[in-house]
Amino acid sequence: MPGMTSGLSSDNPTIVAAFRSALLHQGLILVAVFAVLALAWLIVREWLRPAGTPAGSRPGAGSEPAWRLLLRVGFGVLWIFDGLLQAQPAMAEGLPAQVIQPAAASSPGWVQHIVNWAGTSWSYHPIQAGAAAVWIQIGIGVWLITAPRGSWSRLAGLVSAGWALVVWVFGEAFGGIFAPGLSWLFGAPGAAALYLAAGLLIAAPPRSWRESPPGRAILTALGVFFAGMAVLQAWPGRGFWQGTLHGGSGTLTAMIRSMATTPQPAVLAGWVSGFASFTAAHGFAVNLFAVIALAAVGAGLLAAGRGRPELGRLAVIAMVVLCLADWVLVEDFGFFGGLGTDPNSMIPLALLGVAGYLALTRAPVPAAEPAGEAAGEAEPVGGADRSGWFQPARLAGAFAAAGTRAVLTVWALVIVLLGAAPMAMAQTSRNADPIIAQAVDGDAAPLDATAPAFQLTDQYGRAASLAGFRGKVVLLTFLDPVCTSDCPVIAQEFRQADQMLGGTGRNVELVAIVANPVYYSAAYTRAFDQAERLTALPNWRYLTGSLPQLRQAWKNYGVAADILPAGGMIAHSDVTFVIDANGHTRSELNFDPGPGTPSTESSFAAELTTAAAAVSRQP
Amino acid sequence: MRAAWGRAVAAAACVLAAGCASGPASTRPATAGPAAPPPLATASTGAAGAGWAIVEMGGSAAQEDNFWELFVRPAASAAWRLATPAGVADNGGLEAAGTGGSLVAGFRPSQDLAFSPLAATHDDGASWAAAGPVTPGLADAPDALAAGPGGQLIALTSEGTAELGADTGNAWTRLASVQTLLATPAGHTCGLTGLTAASFGPSGVPMLAGTCSRPGTVGIFADHGGTWRAAGPAVPPALAGADTGVLRLTTSGALLRAGSGAAASLIAAWPAAGGWAQSAPLRIGANGLRATSFGPGQAVAVVLADGQGETLSGPGSSWHALPRLPASAAALALGPGGQVDALTAKAGTFADWRLVAGARWRLAQTVHVTIPYGSSS
Repeated sequence: MPGMTSGLSSDNPTIVAAFRSALLHQGLILVAVFAVLALAWLIVREWLRPAGTPAGSRPGAGSEPAWRLLLRVGFGVLWIFDGLLQAQPAMAEGLPAQVIQPAAASSPGWVQHIVNWAGTSWSYHPIQAGAAAVWIQIGIGVWLITAPRGSWSRLAGLVSAGWALVVWVFGEAFGGIFAPGLSWLFGAPGAAALYLAAGLLIAAPPRSWRESPPGRAILTALGVFFAGMAVLQAWPGRGFWQGTLHGGSGTLTAMIRSMATTPQPAVLAGWVSGFASFTAAHGFAVNLFAVIALAAVGAGLLAAGRGRPELGRLAVIAMVVLCLADWVLVEDFGFFGGLGTDPNSMIPLALLGVAGYLALTRAPVPAAEPAGEAAGEAEPVGGADRSGWFQPARLAGAFAAAGTRAVLTVWALVIVLLGAAPMAMAQTSRNADPIIAQAVDGDAAPLDATAPAFQLTDQYGRAASLAGFRGKVVLLTFLDPVCTSDCPVIAQEFRQADQMLGGTGRNVELVAIVANPVYYSAAYTRAFDQAERLTALPNWRYLTGSLPQLRQAWKNYGVAADILPAGGMIAHSDVTFVIDANGHTRSELNFDPGPGTPSTESSFAAELTTAAAAVSRQP
Repeated sequence: MRAAWGRAVAAAACVLAAGCASGPASTRPATAGPAAPPPLATASTGAAGAGWAIVEMGGSAAQEDNFWELFVRPAASAAWRLATPAGVADNGGLEAAGTGGSLVAGFRPSQDLAFSPLAATHDDGASWAAAGPVTPGLADAPDALAAGPGGQLIALTSEGTAELGADTGNAWTRLASVQTLLATPAGHTCGLTGLTAASFGPSGVPMLAGTCSRPGTVGIFADHGGTWRAAGPAVPPALAGADTGVLRLTTSGALLRAGSGAAASLIAAWPAAGGWAQSAPLRIGANGLRATSFGPGQAVAVVLADGQGETLSGPGSSWHALPRLPASAAALALGPGGQVDALTAKAGTFADWRLVAGARWRLAQTVHVTIPYGSSS
C-alpha cells in the first residue's frame, strides 16, 4: 500500500518528542479550560441560582435503565482506555505501518484503497493525527459517562457510533470481514463494530426502548452472529481444524503464537504460549470446542430472544466466560506491545451481551420527568425548551442551573473538539508536516557566509552563475543525473516545493549542480529533467560544466562526489543550501531523503518552502 | 430533538468534509509495470579469444545489493579482469555489444533511474567514456543493445521501440516500433507482440527480432532500404504449432524458444548461404535459462536454470551436455579450439573453471570483487 507509511521507525525520537509535546500542550489547555469552566460555573451558579434552590441540590433520581447505564459507562470507560493507549509513544509514527496496514493486508484491493487513503493522511500529519485519536476517544468516553439522559446523552451515543465507524472502516479495515481469515476467535467483526452498535443503542430515543425493551432484539442479533461464527469456524479448508499444517502452524496456532511474541509480562506470554502449544497438539479438539461453544451460545441467545429468559441468562453467562477465555488465551488482551489500540473485541462483546440480557425487562417509566433534571443533568445549555436559548440571560440562567455532570459534558465536548480541530486543519493542506523531514535529517544548520561563486551551464546550454541569480532566493543542491535512488527523490521534493511556493516561486531559483564525475554532459541533465518531469519548471536550473569546473564547485561547497567500483553508484553528499537574494548562505539542510515515501517527500518539500520563505523575509 | 440531530449531522459532515477536502498528492512519475524477470548472464568471445562476460554478483536477497559485473578477457590473454564501467549503479543489469575492437555497455533502468546510460571502451575496458543516454531505458532483453559499423547502435527501449544511434549513441532516431513493424506484411504475418532483440546483419543491415502471436513463426526482420522484411528461419515441422520467440540475436547466430512451460525447447540458428542452419531442439523446461554465450566458430553455450551446461560447436553440430558445472555457475565462456570455461560468481568471488579433457573442471583463476553493498540504497 503505497504512501501509508512514512518509512520512519515508530520510535523515532523526533516524532516521539513532538507527540509528547503536543499531548502535553493540549492537556494543559484542557486543564485550563476545565478550570475556567468550573470557576465560571461556580460564580454564575452563586449569582444566578434560582431562589429557594439550595446550592448543590440535585433533582431527583433519573430513570435510565440498567442496560443503557452499563453500555454508556462501560463503553465510556473503554473509550477513555483506548484514548490512553493512543497516547503511547510509538502510536504517532507506528500506527499506519504497524497497525492499519497489516489489518488491511489480506483484504481485497478496494478495502486496501480506502484504508490507504486514511493511512496516508495519518502519515502526512502523524502528530496531529496521533493527538486527535487520543483526545477524541478520551472526550467521547468522558462525554458518555457524564451525560446520562437527554439529547446530549443521545448525541454522545451518536458521536461514539460515528467515531467507531471511522475506526472500523479506516483503522480496522472493516474489521477484516472481507479478509479470508475471518473468525470470532480473532475478533470478528472488529471491536469498533461493537462500539458502533453500542453507540447506536445509546443514541436511540427513550420512547423506543420504554415502549419496547431492546433486549430481545439485542440477544437475537447476537444469537444470529454467534451461530454464523460457529458455521464459519466449522467451515472446512480454512486451516482451523488442524493444529499443524504442512509442517507449520495451523491457522489458529499461528495466530496465537504471533500474539505470544508481543512484548508483555512473562506470565501472560507463558499462558498464551502454553495455549498455542496445546492448540498445536490438539487443534481439532480446540476447534471442535470452539464450534460447539459458539453454536450453543448462539442457540441460547436466540432462544432468549424468542422469549426464554431463563436460557438467556445461561447463554449470556456462557458467552461472557467464553469471551474472557478467548480474550486471555487467543487475543492476549489486545493492548500490549506499545501499539495496542484497544482491548480488542471480547470485552465490548460481553458488555453488549449483558446489556441485552438486562434489557429484556421493561424500564420503569417515571411518573413525571422532573423539570430540573433535564436542565441539570442532561442539557448543559438551555434545557429541553430551546426557544430563545441563545439569549445571554437565559443562557447564564441555564448554566447556573446546570449540574456538575453537565459541566463535565461541556468539557468533554471541548476535549473532542480540541483533538479534532488540529487534524481537521492539517487536512486542509496537501503538504506533509515538516516534522517528518526533521525526523529524518535533523534541523537545518544556520549559516551566514558568502556563498561560493560558480559559473556553469544550464541544461539548455545557457551560461549560469550564482551572481546571475542575485535578487532571488536560491535553493541549491547537488544531484547525480544517473543516480538510482536519492537524487530522483530529491528532484521530486524540489518539484513539489515549486508547486507549494506558487506565485512566490518567481522569486526563488531551484538550482542543482551535477554531482557525477563521469556522467555530466547536458544530454544527461536533460534526460534527468525529462524523467523527473522537471522540464516545465521555469525556475529549475540543472547546471553542469567541465570536470574541473564541477570539481571546483564541489570543493567550494564541501560536496563529495566519489566513484565507487564494481557497479556502485556515485557516492555524493545529499545537501541543500539556502542562499538569500544577496548571495549569502543562510542555512544548510541535510537532504538525505530517507525512505523516500510520499509523506517524507512532501515534508522535505515543505521544509524547502519554509526555508525559502524565511530567507525571503530576512532583511 | 430533531433539530439537534440535524445540527449534529451537519457538524459531522463538516468535519468529514474537512477531512476529505484534500488528499496527499501523488509525487512519483509513472514507473514501469510489473518487475521483469532477472536478466540472463551473457558471454561472448571472438575468434582471437578476446571476450567478455556479464554476471550478477553480490548474493544478497535485496536487488539493490546485487550488482552486474563485466569481466573482460583480452586477446592473447588467459586471464579475466573486472572491467565494469563506473559512475552508474548497475543493479538492474548490464548490456554489452561489441564490434571491431570496441565495446559499448548499457545500464538497464533500476529503482528510480528511468533511462539507460551508456559507456564505450576501445581498450578492453581499461578506460570508459560516457555515451548515450538511451531514453527511455533499455528493454529487459539480453540483446536490447546492438553495435554496428561506424559507431552505429540499435537500442530496444522499454516502450517497445527500436532506436538507431549514431556517434556511439549521442544522437538517436526512431528505427521502428512494434506498431510500424505490424504495419508491414512481415510483421502482420508474424502478429508481432513485442521486440526482444536487435542486431546488425553481416552486411551491416539492422535486424530486429520479436515475439510472434502466430504459432510456428519466427519474428526476425531485416531492414532493406527502409523496408522491413521477414528474415527468420522456419521452425522444424515438429514445432510448427508451437509458440516461438527469439531469445538472442547476434551477428553470428540466434537462439529461439519454441513451445512453452514444461515443453519449451531451445533451437540455435545460424545464418547460412540462402537461409539458416538450425540445431536440434534442446528441452529447457519451464524454468528456462540462466545464461547464454556465443564463441568462436559460431559456437553456442547455455546454462539451464537447473545448472546444466550444454554446448554446440557450430552449425551442424549437436547439443553436448557438459559435466556437472561447478557450484554457483553463472555462465559459460567459449574459447578458441573448443575451450570451455565455467564462470562462477558467489558473493564477491568470481572464478574461472576450465574444462579439462572434456571431463572435469579445474580452477584457472579467481577474481575478488569488492561489492559496493549499500551504495544503491
